[in-house]
Amino acid sequence: MKQARRWLLLATALVLLPQVAYAQRKKKPAPAPSSGTAAAPADADADADQPAGASGTAPAGGDQTGAAATPGGDQGGAGVDICTITPDAPQCTAAKSINLGEEAKKAVRAEIYAVQQQYVIKAHRLELMPYWQFTLNDQFVSHPGPGLALNYYITQVLAAGLNFDWYGGLNQDSDFNFQNRRAAHISVPLNNYQLSGDLNFTYVPMYGKFAGFGDFIFHYDAYIDGGVGLIRTEPIPVIDPSNRKFDWNNLVNFDVGIGFRIFFNRWLAAILEVRDLMYFEKIENPNVATGSTLLPITDQNNPRNPATWYDPNNHFTNDVQLQLGISILLPTSFEYRLPK
Amino acid sequence: MKRRFVTAVLAAVAAAGVWSTAGAANAQEIQLTGPLKGAPAVRHLRLYRQGRFEIAPAISFSLLDEYRRTILTGARLNYNLTDWLGIGVWGAYGAISTTTDLANKINETAPRYAATAVNVNHTGQYPNFGKASFNDQTARMDWVLAPQLTFTPFRGKLAIFNKIFVDTDFYVSGGVGFVGIEERGPCGGKGQTSCADPSTFALQSSTQVSPTFGVGFSFYPANWWSFGVEYRALPFAWNRSGFDSRGAGTNGNFPDGQINSQDDTFRFNQLITVSASFYLPTMPKISE
Repeated sequence: MKQARRWLLLATALVLLPQVAYAQRKKKPAPAPSSGTAAAPADADADADQPAGASGTAPAGGDQTGAAATPGGDQGGAGVDICTITPDAPQCTAAKSINLGEEAKKAVRAEIYAVQQQYVIKAHRLELMPYWQFTLNDQFVSHPGPGLALNYYITQVLAAGLNFDWYGGLNQDSDFNFQNRRAAHISVPLNNYQLSGDLNFTYVPMYGKFAGFGDFIFHYDAYIDGGVGLIRTEPIPVIDPSNRKFDWNNLVNFDVGIGFRIFFNRWLAAILEVRDLMYFEKIENPNVATGSTLLPITDQNNPRNPATWYDPNNHFTNDVQLQLGISILLPTSFEYRLPK
Repeated sequence: MKRRFVTAVLAAVAAAGVWSTAGAANAQEIQLTGPLKGAPAVRHLRLYRQGRFEIAPAISFSLLDEYRRTILTGARLNYNLTDWLGIGVWGAYGAISTTTDLANKINETAPRYAATAVNVNHTGQYPNFGKASFNDQTARMDWVLAPQLTFTPFRGKLAIFNKIFVDTDFYVSGGVGFVGIEERGPCGGKGQTSCADPSTFALQSSTQVSPTFGVGFSFYPANWWSFGVEYRALPFAWNRSGFDSRGAGTNGNFPDGQINSQDDTFRFNQLITVSASFYLPTMPKISE
């Protein structure tokens, strides 16, 4: 029992001693040969992915072939030449075939793009974009709701697609509207939305990348889109609610938008878009027919005549939306046409 | 004695093992080699801000205004302590102020009679009310001064049409905003003129103190200047219409015949700003 402590210490020592092997200090590199025919390969930290002669330990005669050089830079701590184990390793074969002099004479394509290889290839991929949109420009009635866009990228920068928005049951009449009615005794015609759908073209002229906190990098692009579609709206009876009850109207709309997409990976991104739906709105007539409701329903003086309910002029309306959502690109993987 | 010696030797060997293990971890880090070993995300980074003064003339446009739009001209002055942190001030003057379609509509169509006499500008006294401009009673923003810190967490580059490449950064700023406004003055209280009196529709100047924050992008076509776009908010409550909206009844939700702070309503007071920034010294530092 008294010896248990010693056995325990012995066992600990036996377990830990092998670790010392990992902690050996690096061997100092061997002095470079003076003949200049071989690179000194002894640096254990040399980049294993670099061909010999490219690591800064090139032979004195820079245009000499590396064929005579001891290939490879990684010999490991035990001094084993990796090329003797795997002669077909890239750094071994490359070192034997590169003639630095000839390589230096080759023409170089000097043009370098800011982003050499786009992070995401969109061409021939389908984009599924669910989002939630908020109204930005209507203080009286806001029209938030869910939306879904489907875009097919014909090229890397151009897509055709559809988007659909639903507003039914989500329209919100604001307190601001009530305050104005009560204070100034004026009524502003209001409309609810039910749904809208558009055929759109999307163009992606901008892309780039950001370094976050100097530590990580993420990619983004910016796009513009535009199209034509249909929106269903309905006036809210505020001028003469006792006699007027409106139905949904189908109206043609045009839309333009500008969006920003931040990629989490090569198939998933967050989107933020501002879109303007423009159309000619049919609003409630601020004037009420002054005749009796007992007049024939087709009489222009009967306030229950639906023909008197609408303002004779249609009003150009902008519905500016802020859309927040995600973008899913399908298929989720792709291959670059050219190597990086 | 012998036992103690053996115990001491074993303890020393164990301690050496523990020490060696710690050393092994360090050695293993060294063994991670390659061109990217320990490399920063970006090399040879142009430090556009670090140690530089920034002078940025700017134009700001108010957004989503109910009764009156304001265009402010001003400038932002920053000294960037590091590439990601700057200290400075933004100041602007409300150069142009125009009314919205809603204000114009109220001005044209709101009836001037006893029931609206407290809320809509008019001439004369009961029962002979005449029309006066509603637009004159709507509040306006005259000037803004905002000491602030600017934090730049993201920076990168942007390709436009695959032809134009510009360095870009994204920043967040925050501080305290001192906002000079004009709004309808108090009336209808004890010792004050009745709010139905036309003289009470005149605007009075005051200063609001509010937090302010913004987010923006800067684009660098050259080393010594950039242009940018910024969204900013100055959230505070004020009475933009000059209406008597609250003060009486349940939860004070009904008009009380007085204009006072209870009629102020909270608003984000959003602005979009475009600016051009000029930097001193004109050449930025380059990182490793």
